[in-house]
Amino acid sequence: MSERLCSVGLDVGTTSTQLIVSELVVENRASAFAVPELEIAQREIRYKSPVYFTPLLDESHVDGEKIREIVQEEYRKAGLQRQDVDTGAIIITGETSRKENARAVLDALSDFAGEFVVATAGPDLESVLAAKGAGAAAYSEQEGKTVLHMDIGGGTSNLALIRKGQIVNTGCLNVGGRLVKFGEDGIISYVSPVLSGLCNLKVGDRVTQEDLEPVADMLTQALEMAAGLREKTQLLDKLTTAEASGGFAPPQESVVLSFSGGVADCIGNDFPWPQFGDMGPILGQAIRRSRLCQGQFRLGSETIRATVIGAGCHSTQLSGSTVFYQNVQFPLKNVPVVNIRNPQDIGRELRKQEGTAILAMQGKAAPSYREVTALAEEILGQTQAPVLLCLEQDMAKALGQALAVRTPPQAQILCIDRVKVSAGSYLDIGAPVASALPVVVKTLVLEQ
Amino acid sequence: MNKQELAAMVAQILGTMDMPPMVKAGEYHPTAPQPEAKETGYGDGDFVPDVTALDLRKLYLTENPENGEKFRSMKERTPARLGSGRAGPRYKTLTMLRFRADHAAAQDAVFSQVSPDFASQNGMVEVQTRCKDKDEYLTRPDHGRCFDAENQQKIRAAIPGKPKVQIVVGDGLSSAAITANAMDCLQAIREGLQIRGIDPGTPIFVRYCRVGAGDAIGDVTGCELVCMLVGERPGLVTDKSMSAYITYQPHTGVSESARTVVSNIHAQGTPAVEAGAHIAGLIETILQKKVSGVGLHLEGAV
Repeated sequence: MSERLCSVGLDVGTTSTQLIVSELVVENRASAFAVPELEIAQREIRYKSPVYFTPLLDESHVDGEKIREIVQEEYRKAGLQRQDVDTGAIIITGETSRKENARAVLDALSDFAGEFVVATAGPDLESVLAAKGAGAAAYSEQEGKTVLHMDIGGGTSNLALIRKGQIVNTGCLNVGGRLVKFGEDGIISYVSPVLSGLCNLKVGDRVTQEDLEPVADMLTQALEMAAGLREKTQLLDKLTTAEASGGFAPPQESVVLSFSGGVADCIGNDFPWPQFGDMGPILGQAIRRSRLCQGQFRLGSETIRATVIGAGCHSTQLSGSTVFYQNVQFPLKNVPVVNIRNPQDIGRELRKQEGTAILAMQGKAAPSYREVTALAEEILGQTQAPVLLCLEQDMAKALGQALAVRTPPQAQILCIDRVKVSAGSYLDIGAPVASALPVVVKTLVLEQ
Repeated sequence: MNKQELAAMVAQILGTMDMPPMVKAGEYHPTAPQPEAKETGYGDGDFVPDVTALDLRKLYLTENPENGEKFRSMKERTPARLGSGRAGPRYKTLTMLRFRADHAAAQDAVFSQVSPDFASQNGMVEVQTRCKDKDEYLTRPDHGRCFDAENQQKIRAAIPGKPKVQIVVGDGLSSAAITANAMDCLQAIREGLQIRGIDPGTPIFVRYCRVGAGDAIGDVTGCELVCMLVGERPGLVTDKSMSAYITYQPHTGVSESARTVVSNIHAQGTPAVEAGAHIAGLIETILQKKVSGVGLHLEGAV
């Protein structure tokens, strides 16, 4: 027996806006004579929209109304009603995420798209979604190899380092195919501010292949530096995005390079250079000639659609199948995560937070009943209801009921397990699917 | 070919083979001082490493693997004895020792007893099926499902009224499973029933217990539901696996298909406390639907 979740992915990127509809098949992997173990067994894509140009009102505002129309039209074509949608993610990526009204547009859209369609932005998550959507994470797991995935879009490149299928680091560079745009007449219509001081191209100039090639080579060098294939210079720092957390440490081991994003199509295909009115084909060919493609490399199973497929198919995970919740109104959205190493720190850590937060703890494998009740008592000594907990080890249902038995029946308690989150993440938690809860971890997921 | 010719031929074939010289019986002196044993690295009072302490999911012995790292990561997901390498056509010594140690633990789990203090230490009354000892328990399954008059009387005295839920802990085929898991699981069940407003009743311990003993307890007490925690037949993966058998309206002769089972309760399977919390929910559902076993269609279960 299986249950199906309808999941929507919408990616509003620097250049393109796309939507996909997919079906997540939830199956119980345990026998009928054991405690259920639900997992997402299959992710099937049901519908792919055409690739739209991202509608803008002006250079600093996204056209929210137009995007809403796109969503409405694509829902109609896919034969989808808002209430059919169980889960999914809407993401604003690349340069578009820096528009002034990005957040507002995103939030309005997520409510419009479905009750548990989460809104998110941020280069860390994009990198994760692109790496999964392009099949790079699955490739790494199957082959047991370390993969450096680069999703090279219009405005940014999202990097993800994957070891044995686990994404261990992410980064983001201002490297993309549409940092320079020109008309059919070859006159430059746009030069991204990130290139200021790095090239002499100006709006209004006539551009030739020879003008663009040095720029493409320079951008490619930055990618080589990020991949650890070239000595690092200031160029890499200059092209690292402000939002990227911490910076991306180049891998020490030998890696398989993997590419997605619109520019990945230009690595595999030699398009005429002015075909798209941008530097995508020239950048693609520069990458093809570079050190990035000297060793083992692969083009993603999806290229321009990698991120949206990641958003539609890979943003939702399931909690463990024995969890506890009481008086919780689903979906919960944007709950900040507080990492707790020692339960005695709960009070202190929670006082730093405004509003509700979810406590993320390691927990213990196969704890005794006494250990569970001791932890419940320690937690309740440090904080009062609502108590929201996210554990890695399988003990949530026992801990949840130990908390419930020690608090008034109206206390709000949520206790989930088998989810690993890192500090600084946000969780969205949807209504139960059989006995598990769908969870979307936003921002960097360091998987185990 | 006569006998002599045959002997000559065999001698000739043996002669061409590279064989160690035969020792004639007259030259065999087993009690004479032997050449000094090989240095083991162990001195008096040292311990040989415990082969059962090794985690089978991490034990990978194949030499010169094509992709050992990948094999290791797959092995993490199963306790099966994979990637154990070989010495010629046979197991390596470590594999063989571990196999025998696990087999011995499984046998011990069957033949050993739950401590005589177990029930009293955990606040339970102990009763015994018609089996007089372990041998009778193993050879007469039917005796492990019923009680003599004295023990029926003890059950009646221990359990007042007609309880809604009767929890039974039975040693079953693995005493080790009960010692390791039963109380953690039972306490989680009680707590889970408590928050659901269901009286968890008075648990009872049964020695030499088969699952069917719960039916006999149903006969004696008239309880609405029996939840029996019982040691599973031990295997080579673990000797500590416990099951819960939940039967609605238990009575002697009830069909086996009327039982709802939660198996594989042990530290590497479903942790005892999580299983207990899950079982409490199952008990609530079964009481609501008034059916257990194959007739119970769990809504929302996939």
